[in-house]
Amino acid sequence: MSVKVDPNVMKDLEAFGLKDAKKCYHCGNCTAICPLSTPENQFPRKFVRYIQLGQKDKILQSPEPWLCYYCGDCSLKCPRGADPGETMMVTRRYLTSLYDWTGFARKFYTSERFEIMAISIVALLVGIGLLVFNTGKPDWQHASLNSLWPKENIELADLGMAAVLSFLLLSNVFRCFRFVMGDLAYKVPFKYYMDQAKELILHTVTQKRFNECTDRKQWLVHLLIMTGYSSVFLLVVVFLRWFQRDQEIYSIWHPVRLVGYYATFAIMYGTTYAIIGRLRKSKPPYKNSHPTDWMFLILLQLTTMTGIFIHFTRLLDWPFATYFLYVIHMMVAIPMLVLEVPFAKWAHLAYRPVVLYLLKVKAQYQQEQPAEASVAVAA
Amino acid sequence: METKLAVYICTGCGIGEALDIEALSKVATKDCKAPICRNHPNLCSQDGVQLIKNDIANEGANVLVIAACSPRVMYDVFAFDDCVVERTNIREQVVWCQKPNDEDTQMMAEDYVRMGAAKAKKTELPEPYKPEQEMSKDILVVGGGLAGLTAALEASKAGYQVVLVEKEAELGGFQKKVAQKVTFPYKELTANDLNQLVQAVESDSGIKVYTGAKVEKISGGPCVFDVSIKQNGSTAEHHMGAIVLAAGWQPYDPANLDGKLGYGASPNVITNVQFEEMFTSGAVVRPSDQTPVKNAAFLQCAGQRDPEYLPYCSSVCCFTALKQAIQIKQQDPDANVFVVYKEMRTPGQGEDFYRKAQQEGIVFVRCQSPEVMVQGSKLTVEADDELSGEKILLADLDLVVLATGMVPATAFGEDFKAVQPKEGEEKEKEDEIKVPADAILVSDILNLEYRQGPELPGLRYGFPDSHYICFPYESRRTGIYAAGCVRRPMGVAGALEDAAGAAMKAIQCVELTTRGASVHPRAGDLSYPEFFMQRCTQCKRCTEECPFGAINEDEKANPLPQPTRCRRCSVCMGACPERIISFKNYSIAMIGDMIKAIEVPEEDEEKPRIVILACENDAYPALDMVGLRRMTYNAWVRVIPLRCLGSLNLVWIADTLSKGIDGVFLLGCRHGDEYQCHFIKGSELSEIRLSKVKETLDRLVLESDRVRFEMLSIADCDRLPALLDEFAARLVEIGPNPYKGY
Ligand code: SF4
Ligand code: SF4
Ligand code: SF4
Repeated sequence: MSVKVDPNVMKDLEAFGLKDAKKCYHCGNCTAICPLSTPENQFPRKFVRYIQLGQKDKILQSPEPWLCYYCGDCSLKCPRGADPGETMMVTRRYLTSLYDWTGFARKFYTSERFEIMAISIVALLVGIGLLVFNTGKPDWQHASLNSLWPKENIELADLGMAAVLSFLLLSNVFRCFRFVMGDLAYKVPFKYYMDQAKELILHTVTQKRFNECTDRKQWLVHLLIMTGYSSVFLLVVVFLRWFQRDQEIYSIWHPVRLVGYYATFAIMYGTTYAIIGRLRKSKPPYKNSHPTDWMFLILLQLTTMTGIFIHFTRLLDWPFATYFLYVIHMMVAIPMLVLEVPFAKWAHLAYRPVVLYLLKVKAQYQQEQPAEASVAVAA
Repeated sequence: METKLAVYICTGCGIGEALDIEALSKVATKDCKAPICRNHPNLCSQDGVQLIKNDIANEGANVLVIAACSPRVMYDVFAFDDCVVERTNIREQVVWCQKPNDEDTQMMAEDYVRMGAAKAKKTELPEPYKPEQEMSKDILVVGGGLAGLTAALEASKAGYQVVLVEKEAELGGFQKKVAQKVTFPYKELTANDLNQLVQAVESDSGIKVYTGAKVEKISGGPCVFDVSIKQNGSTAEHHMGAIVLAAGWQPYDPANLDGKLGYGASPNVITNVQFEEMFTSGAVVRPSDQTPVKNAAFLQCAGQRDPEYLPYCSSVCCFTALKQAIQIKQQDPDANVFVVYKEMRTPGQGEDFYRKAQQEGIVFVRCQSPEVMVQGSKLTVEADDELSGEKILLADLDLVVLATGMVPATAFGEDFKAVQPKEGEEKEKEDEIKVPADAILVSDILNLEYRQGPELPGLRYGFPDSHYICFPYESRRTGIYAAGCVRRPMGVAGALEDAAGAAMKAIQCVELTTRGASVHPRAGDLSYPEFFMQRCTQCKRCTEECPFGAINEDEKANPLPQPTRCRRCSVCMGACPERIISFKNYSIAMIGDMIKAIEVPEEDEEKPRIVILACENDAYPALDMVGLRRMTYNAWVRVIPLRCLGSLNLVWIADTLSKGIDGVFLLGCRHGDEYQCHFIKGSELSEIRLSKVKETLDRLVLESDRVRFEMLSIADCDRLPALLDEFAARLVEIGPNPYKGY
């Protein structure tokens, strides 16, 4: 079957940040140098080609973009300056938009204006919400958030938000699963999905594959941001009742406090490193910054910073400053969560481990069904 | 003139340590009867040269045999006016490649001194050829395209009068159709500045331009060319020195292409030349309805590099496709343009232009055999995309442009052999040596009045034969140099360089010829063939075999040599069965005497002898190289350099074998399509002649294995020792030559 070449894909992808892929002359150096590319799952050159030929379907069905952690070795070695690493990044943005059925992700990536508007609107709504829905009886003596916004209520709102976000994200993850698995999706026995579940967890927690890249620093920064972000996410969404406390301040060794400190440090270190890197364009992954990359780093750092301030105003027991900063904090954190998790950069947090996991499932299936697999290949 | 032989033996460079110089000197004085024989520890030094000069001045020495290094070195040092100088190579080919102080080595050196003296005694000082007619240094340029115009201008700038003949009514050639060109530094499209060049030529007082004209007839030879130019029914005559052929090319006929490429199936499938015309005459549109082009594909190598169509690469069409693709993009940046190629050939700085095309967003598809499908006014190209392994469709195309190639102007016209009137009454003689005829097409460009045919002989695909490996611009007609796309496919940059190169060659030719000297590759040689006509049998062998068509014929079929056309290869000398052709410094008798000067030991001494007749251009330097690398070869051989193996006269083989020498080894250059022979046909002709001699040898019950021919290139020195040993072993097997001692 011959496939039609769609030259518009390439033009379309420019909005997702595609810049230098045209320069590629397909020497294959990038694939050869890539520590993560394997004979079964080759990249990045193949994707440069798919993009040049506008092979949208091929891209959609490919797991490879998620196997790339953007160490940038390929871009360093490319003799034509075609920046294949960035092309893989663009492919991930593109996939995120294709997985997303709401069409929001696409808007987010292709229009900076839309992105800023969306964030502002959500921020505004959060601000108004916090001003409108509160007890109306703030404690002006002591900094007591619960006096204005009782944690039970926040927790409820949290859970509501989590439900919506989960639904959106999971529905997109499901689409990702269908695209990547193709015909195999339901052919593979459930048992294999179960067998490989531990891989899913392992990869999510350790980002083990990234560690195979030559630039270990990138893996560390990535791990710090990821774990910091996840632990704080757990604290504020799941463990909020232990987190948002007013009266007794936990002792310095209390686990919640420790986790909080770790997360703060990890995020601040990681994001600062990344921001400086992007400003200085210090290495290939930082050379090209899409507006969504900036937005993500800025929101994350702002959230953390306002969080730190609140921590201090509470310790100093300044009620007004605490309440004010809390509103700001929420106005930054909520849009970040609501918009970035299902529709933008944060979504890869889900896609990457899921795709790795699916690949393992596929591999196990193919290994244990040699006859069937070879028939499929022959066909 | 009184002659006085003087032999000089150099004892430097290891010669003195490896040989008995006293014995060697005795050979010179006793055997060769040289009144003067001296040796010097460093003959090429000022002191050594002065020694010789003193003898010339004070003793009247004028035939000098210099037994020292190879004649390939120090030729400028051992040059003495009005003296015959014979170089005997006892360094590279004796002491450097033989065991020192060995009996065999000494014998070899002594033989070489005898041979050198024998040759020197027969040599006369050549007198430069002066034709009766006045000699012209003017340069004729045939073709007024980019190459022709440039050649004319370059020659004129160098101070030569030029006549330029263009068949079209206007100057400019193909480039008139080209609005933008791609050339150095290959970054951008540049506007074609051809008009400036045309104006420069037209306003140059040193250039006489004929447009709408053709060359009707050329006779004579370098510096005495008589050229008739026909223009508007009248004929102008010019007396010219040399000719630059810049007749250009024609596009390959797309009607001959594979139907898969869709030419003729839709008006929207066009060639790169048609695109060029369309662009120059306005905008690029879809030919069927003049609507804008939104999607276009360029299919490269349309019928090119394909043995069934045009077997070679035209070298410019990749650039042309990139240029035209960019032109579409510049006309409409949203247009989608694809280039489907076998290999993209943009060598050197041209790569930058490929980059530019990439930047412009042109998509490249590597595919060996795309197919064009026509659906109404739209076209689709199906291609195997080698870079993704997918079969892809380029759909909704408004335009498909085929990269058809260049055919040289010389490739058109009938084969001269076929149109030549048959000389019916002549019967084929039984012993006749059949020489393959050259491919000469009657393309009506030069109309030479040469016996071998009216145009330049071709090698392949209709391009004029030029010994392209070593001598670009040369043709097989002395004084006629090809430039531009008639020589090989090339772009603008190549044509400019070519034009200057060919003009340079033409200038060298007129300068050397007016001094009576030969042109390349024996540049400066003042000898030329002389015919002892009384004994000529009108066999035509010389006129047919001369690789350069230098010999015409009168009504009685007598050869009419035209010495300014001659390259001094001496192929005619080898061809002549009557042995009536000779040069002042190279003749059958000279080589014969060299052979006779070799001492042949008695059978019981078990020292066989082998004569090597070696081409001076490749085999001889290869033998030198064996010495330079201090390798060793068989001590039985005696090397005689020949101008060209094509000068081999069969009598030498008879001389050798009848003297009791055990074998003859001919070392010549590769022949055939990939020939390396400096004189193109020489080594091939010698091998053909040899096949005849072998029959004769068999008849004389002399084993034909005693004569061997081998093709050798200058780089083959590693092979040489084994090759010689093998031949020697074979001769031992056959046994000694029964003629020994007679
Ligand atoms: S290294 Fe660069 S030019 Fe080579 S295939 Fe990869 S992206 Fe293309
Ligand atoms: S120049 Fe390019 S298109 Fe033309 S024949 Fe050569 S490789 Fe083919
Ligand atoms: S020497 Fe060579 S070029 Fe000259 S006439 Fe004889 S064969 Fe021709």
